[in-house]
Amino acid sequence: MRCRPYERAVFGTNAIVCIVTKGPMQNIPIALVAPGMVLAKEIKSSEDPASMTICGKGVKLTESLIGRLRQMGIQSVTVEGHPVTMEGETSLDEMLAALDKRFSHVATDPLMMKIKAMYRKHIQLSMGESGGR
Amino acid sequence: MEDKRTEIRRIIRDTKTLPSLPGVIAKLSSMSQDNRISAQEIARVVSSDQVLSAKILRLVNSAFYGFSGRVSTVSNALILLGVNVVRSLAVSSSIFEIMGKNVVGLWEHSMGVAVAANVMSKRLKLPEPEETSTAALLHDIGKVIIKIKLQEDYGRLTAHLAEKGLMMREAERELLDTDHAEIGEWLAQTWLLTEKLIEPIAWHHNVEKSIVHQTKTAVVHVSDVLIKASGFGFSGDDIVPRIQPVAWNRLSLTEPLLESIIEEIEDKLVEVKNFSLEIQLGDEYKT
Repeated sequence: MRCRPYERAVFGTNAIVCIVTKGPMQNIPIALVAPGMVLAKEIKSSEDPASMTICGKGVKLTESLIGRLRQMGIQSVTVEGHPVTMEGETSLDEMLAALDKRFSHVATDPLMMKIKAMYRKHIQLSMGESGGR
Repeated sequence: MEDKRTEIRRIIRDTKTLPSLPGVIAKLSSMSQDNRISAQEIARVVSSDQVLSAKILRLVNSAFYGFSGRVSTVSNALILLGVNVVRSLAVSSSIFEIMGKNVVGLWEHSMGVAVAANVMSKRLKLPEPEETSTAALLHDIGKVIIKIKLQEDYGRLTAHLAEKGLMMREAERELLDTDHAEIGEWLAQTWLLTEKLIEPIAWHHNVEKSIVHQTKTAVVHVSDVLIKASGFGFSGDDIVPRIQPVAWNRLSLTEPLLESIIEEIEDKLVEVKNFSLEIQLGDEYKT
C-alpha cells in the first residue's frame, strides 16, 4: 500500500491519505475529496436511483470538478481504494497496538478476547492486509 | 456546603443553567402529556422552528434509523418514529449543538452507539428499534452535563482517570459520588422522556437493574461496549468494559451472530463518520 498526504488542510486533522492500488471503495465526504481521486460509483443528482447522473464511474476528479460538485450540494462521493484515514491512526501497527490497549482491562475474559479477535480481523482487512504481506 | 449530588440535581432542576433549549421543546413536553393532541398538531409546532426541523430531519435520515434520505417532512418523521422519538431528537440535536466542536469525540461515540443499537435491534428482530436507537444516542447525556456545567470537576475527572487507569464512571463515582448514568437519568426525568429511554440511559452500565425495558438496556449496553471496542469516537476513556452476562443472555447472542453484527456495524460507521464531518464542516461551507 502506498501512502501520501494530499495537499489539503482539512480542519486541522492530519488526514493521512493512502492510495490503494487494488482494493475496495470508500465513501468520503466532499470536504475530504482531493484531485486525483477516481470515482468508484457514479454521482447522481439525488438519492433516487432513477435521477440524472452528474458524473460517471471511473472519472478522475479535478479541482474544478470538485468545486462544481460542491456547488451542486453533493455531500459525499464514493472513490476507488481506501484513500482517507481520519482517526489520526497512521499505520496498521498503531491501530493494532491501540486495540491491545483498549482491551487490556478484559484480557482474562474469554468472550471479550474473542470479540477482540473479531475487531483485529476487521482492522487487518480494512487496512488491505488480506494475506498479501 | 451542599454535596455534589445535591449540586448536580440543583443544576438540572434549574432550567436557567441548563443548555438553552428552544422554546419549542418545552411546548412539546407539555403537549406530549396530552393524548388528545394529534401528530399533525405536533408537526405544526415543530415545523414552526425551521432550524430545529432541519436538524431533526438530518438526524432522522442519518444511519441511526435506516431511512436513508427518505424522510422529507416533520409529519413523516412523526408517523415513522413517533412523538417520543422526535421529541428526544429535538432535545438531543440541541444538546449536541451546545457540545460543539470541543466534544466531537463524545458526539461520534454517541452516534456510533445509536447505529450499533439500530443494527442489533433489527438483526435480533426486536420491537421498537427507533426507541432503542434514540436511547443509545442519549445514553451518555450525563457526560455532557458534567462537561458543560461542571467544567472544573471534568478537568479533575480526566486527570484522575488518567493517573489511576480508571474508567470514566469509576472516576465519577470516586470524585462526584454519582456517575453519568445517574445524572442522565435525572436529566431524562426532568425532560419527561419516556421510561423506554430513561431505563437504558440509567442502567447501560448495570443491565440487571433495568426491569421493565431490560432488552433495550441490554442492546444499548452491548452497543456501547462494541463502539468502544471499535475505537470509534471518544467517550472519555479508552477502556473496553466486559459485556455483562445478563445482557448477553437477555439478547440470546452467540459468537457467530455477534461477529456478523459487528461487520454490519463497522460498514455503517463510515456513514456516521461522513455525517459527523458534514456537521462539523457545515458551517464552513455556508460562510
